[in-house]
Amino acid sequence: MQTTPEPHLANGSNLITTFHLAQKAPLILKRQSSSVETVASSPVRGIENYGVVEQLLFSCLQSGDDKSALLCTEQLAARFGMTDERIIGLRGMYEEAVAENPTRLEECLQTYDLALSENPVNLPVLKRRIALLRSLSRPVDAISSLINLLDAVPTDAEAWCELADLYHSQGMSSQAAFCLEEALLIVPNSWNIHAFLGEILYSGACASETTDCSQLLEVSIHHFSRSIELCTDYLRGFYGLVSVGPLIFYLDWC
Amino acid sequence: MALQGVEQTILRDPALFYWIVFPITVVMILTGILRHYATVLMNNPPKPASTLAESRERLGLIRGVNLRNNSSVLSKESFEMRKNYLVSAYQSGAFLKDPASRGQPPANPMTDPAGMEAMMGMMKGNMMMMIPQTLIMSWINAFFSGFVILKLPFPLTIRFKSMLQSGVMTRDLDVRWVSSLSWYFLNLFGLQSVFGFILGSDNAANHMASQMASMNPAAGINPFQPGQDPDKLYQSEAENLEVIEHFCILDGVEERVLAHYAGRKSY
Repeated sequence: MQTTPEPHLANGSNLITTFHLAQKAPLILKRQSSSVETVASSPVRGIENYGVVEQLLFSCLQSGDDKSALLCTEQLAARFGMTDERIIGLRGMYEEAVAENPTRLEECLQTYDLALSENPVNLPVLKRRIALLRSLSRPVDAISSLINLLDAVPTDAEAWCELADLYHSQGMSSQAAFCLEEALLIVPNSWNIHAFLGEILYSGACASETTDCSQLLEVSIHHFSRSIELCTDYLRGFYGLVSVGPLIFYLDWC
Repeated sequence: MALQGVEQTILRDPALFYWIVFPITVVMILTGILRHYATVLMNNPPKPASTLAESRERLGLIRGVNLRNNSSVLSKESFEMRKNYLVSAYQSGAFLKDPASRGQPPANPMTDPAGMEAMMGMMKGNMMMMIPQTLIMSWINAFFSGFVILKLPFPLTIRFKSMLQSGVMTRDLDVRWVSSLSWYFLNLFGLQSVFGFILGSDNAANHMASQMASMNPAAGINPFQPGQDPDKLYQSEAENLEVIEHFCILDGVEERVLAHYAGRKSY
């Protein structure tokens, strides 16, 4: 779900930073494994460290350091157990990353289905499965399983954003706008979702030849402005305004 | 009555301090810590939903609450659309786990295993409070009852007598004298900040639980208490949604942004 405009995933967007972080992986992992005994005695510090390990796993996978990534998953599995929902998800992510050909990916999919047959509300695995369907370029399947997921878990802003992105990739911008509005209901003050919604409305307006074009552009301007109001130096919102402004002026002029 | 203006003096053995005040305080602090860790040990996290339908039932309500609280981000039409959908779904019971059992009285929480577990959790919590208190109270009653152990350095009104001198049946004693049983009560209610100091903070022990919950957002939350009928909550939420007065925060947002930048001289 790299394309989701979630703030905590934003640190993955800068590839150079990711690479630098991943370079430190062996060092951190060594320190972690040597201090397992001390970690056990102070649970609070241990938790922080495992958060670091998880972030490290993402960085390693992005920068192609599969060996360190495997070490990360092993450490996490040693602490939380192989049956933990999130560990299954992380392991699945690793397996997907090291898979060489589509058949291996299909095997991953079957593993997920097996895990889901044991526990149908295993949210990390459900999400991994959808992401895998997407990367196997089966967006229709991904959308339908994402809708099933959201039917059961309608308060997950991340999933709504992902569904919006999927719809947008299929050219269904009104559905995408609906999803983003749902996400906004959950996190009303996230300026990135406001700006994203503005972009979706803008591209929807560009694609449609019908009369509601100027109305869509107006709403799009509203959302871009709101994102700037919430975060005064959010450049994406400004760019949006700059792109929409001339267009709406042109439409009015015609 | 006690003579006005004359200082009451009671000859006390200084060893009283070391053998009563000090032990009671130490024992209270230690039991507090013990109780804290025992609670952590016996506390099991709330069970996440086991089926998709159950999760849907729980979170459907939260969705309505979200719509009610954050409706201002939506335009008029999209708000009305969502409101109508949710109200009709709530009223027809579309989110219920099994719509067939709608309208029937809720199952007895004693026979429902999930409800039973939640009740056990509550009872465990209560027991963790009750048992040590009873034990220490009887311990103090058996060993230390009737001792006057402290003298407060400031005068107090007569109303404090029952609070400070429980266990000592003298009418004439000045209120400034504190009995051992009262010292126990003062400790019982007054040590909260001490525990906060010793144990980090009240949530320090629950840090693990909150961490596990944040790993899996929205799955562990259960808005329903055991034995509560979800349908009733849905009906009341539908009413709340129907009376909500909608305003759109996007109205006039351009003017606000422009005014913000116009107000800055440096631009």
